[in-house]
Amino acid sequence: MTWLIWRQHRTEVCVLGLLVGIFGIALLVLGTQAHDLFPGGPARCAGEAGVNEACAASFRRLDEQYGYVENLLAAFYLVPVVIGAFLGAPLLARELEDGTWQLAWTQAVPRMRWLAAKLAALAGVTVALTGTFTAVLTWFRQPFDAWEGRFQYDAFDVQGLVPVAYALFAFGVATAAGAILRRSLPAFGVAFGAFLAARMPVALLARPAYATPLTTTEPVAVGGSTDQAGPVPSFADWTIEHGYADATGRRLSSTEYHELEDAANRAGTNLNQFLHARDIQQFGVYHPADRFWTFQLIEAALFVAVAAVLIGVVVWRVRRRMI
Amino acid sequence: MTATEFALRTDGLGKRYRKGWALRDCTLALPAGGVIALVGPNGAGKTTLLRMVVGLLAPSTGTVEVLGHDVTASTPQTLSRVGFLAQDHPLYKRFTVAEMLRFGRACNLRFDQGLAERRLAKLGIPLDRRAGTLSGGQQAQVALALALAKRPDLLVLDEPVASLDPLARHEFLQVLMGAVAEGGVTVLFSSHVVHELERVCDHLVVLNRGRVTLTGDIDTLLAEHRLLVGPRTATDPDRAGAVVAAVHSDRHTTLLVRDGALPAAPGWQARPVALEDLVLAYLRRPSEPSTAVTSGVAA
Repeated sequence: MTWLIWRQHRTEVCVLGLLVGIFGIALLVLGTQAHDLFPGGPARCAGEAGVNEACAASFRRLDEQYGYVENLLAAFYLVPVVIGAFLGAPLLARELEDGTWQLAWTQAVPRMRWLAAKLAALAGVTVALTGTFTAVLTWFRQPFDAWEGRFQYDAFDVQGLVPVAYALFAFGVATAAGAILRRSLPAFGVAFGAFLAARMPVALLARPAYATPLTTTEPVAVGGSTDQAGPVPSFADWTIEHGYADATGRRLSSTEYHELEDAANRAGTNLNQFLHARDIQQFGVYHPADRFWTFQLIEAALFVAVAAVLIGVVVWRVRRRMI
Repeated sequence: MTATEFALRTDGLGKRYRKGWALRDCTLALPAGGVIALVGPNGAGKTTLLRMVVGLLAPSTGTVEVLGHDVTASTPQTLSRVGFLAQDHPLYKRFTVAEMLRFGRACNLRFDQGLAERRLAKLGIPLDRRAGTLSGGQQAQVALALALAKRPDLLVLDEPVASLDPLARHEFLQVLMGAVAEGGVTVLFSSHVVHELERVCDHLVVLNRGRVTLTGDIDTLLAEHRLLVGPRTATDPDRAGAVVAAVHSDRHTTLLVRDGALPAAPGWQARPVALEDLVLAYLRRPSEPSTAVTSGVAA
């Protein structure tokens, strides 16, 4: 079976391996140079962007020289999806397309053993490739994470556990779609579309609700600039919402805030002093940075669970000889 | 006969797809040894029946027993006793012939690589060619060599020669019959061509619109049926029950009767019937349930 699986899927595995290899090496080279901008390691500058002069300089050069790479990497959350869908789509669809399922399942290997071996091998390759890719990307992003935190969409989605979960999700969808549609290419498309359709609501709606966000409220400081929210929530925390509330804690709508702003302008007073005098408070709703791994685990579990259900459907269909 | 002397036994076998029944109430008992032809027009349910026989499809109703074993068990042992050659003889197109043989060796318990190599060498099929680049006839031969190298007790072939040119068809049947002559394998194959069957087959199953309409040993079936030619008549009351088909021309009536060898009525001439005419007559009959005619097996 091992030889057969390798012979049947070596093209996909080699192409994807090569792709991951090329991107990985490019990122290692660029990443080494980016890390070299931080003599003491990027972790030491975390949170010090505005304070430590040396760190500030490092971050400025990082942004100038490698900012474009970071922007490119934002699209790389799709790489695990491509890997998973590319390996999952032909698993059953190609056999059904060419009629070779009739050949494969009438040898002495029972179809369930055949299916188990294929699923295990190709899911294993999916995890290995995305795991390697994600490890390199996670390391590459360390300086950027020190600067911006790991909760932004271009950080959270490309490192830790979730990329592997995305890949398994795509693998599951592609395999199931292949079993039902009996064609590889449409199955690949379905997996890609399903991921995009699932990822939007998850990232925008579900992810902020994995835990109850914390809220800070503090009076507007007389001297503070309105642009700089204090140390809490900090740069590394994930701010869901921030704004102003009145003395009773009622949150002000943007119209109400603008009215205050206008009133301050008319009165000719400093806005902060104006707000401070009226007991206006600043509030922030956020997830603290140390929730990163909890959130990664929850989101990974979500996608892996869907993948498991879909693989279960495939196994059930093959077992019931519905294919 | 004991159970194991039957290559294939089905009982009330049926398969329903979303669009309706592809096969209904199929009850068969086919003897081991020899060649069994499954004949029927396109869409009669031949492929469905064969796929259930080799365990690729699950029956909606009834049971299938191959060589005394329930096929739905799908253990390596039961799987290795049955060889299957699907319609259009699918192969992994990008595998070389040698890799196809390696596939057979990797996936079977008693794969005879030497046998397959000898067969292919005799046919002049190079081992280093990709399967997809071979001609249709050669692909069929590779698929057959693979199936035979499994050393199955029952070899099932779905329309094996339908897509082949006359020369390739002849060569294919020659190899197949050679394997049968070597002994040990029962062959069950489907065809929508009745022509040439007589030469090749021992046993016949006629399938029409999802139902078995005739089954039996070919020699027995031919001995039991006769064509009676006589003056034109609406019916022949004496034989109404035994009349399979009646054809009327201006002056004559030709009846196909199943009556053993009863003497012909006065004025009527009896003639033997050709297998092709016999099959066509049964295919033309309106299908009614429970009219399957069985003969030749443990009647």
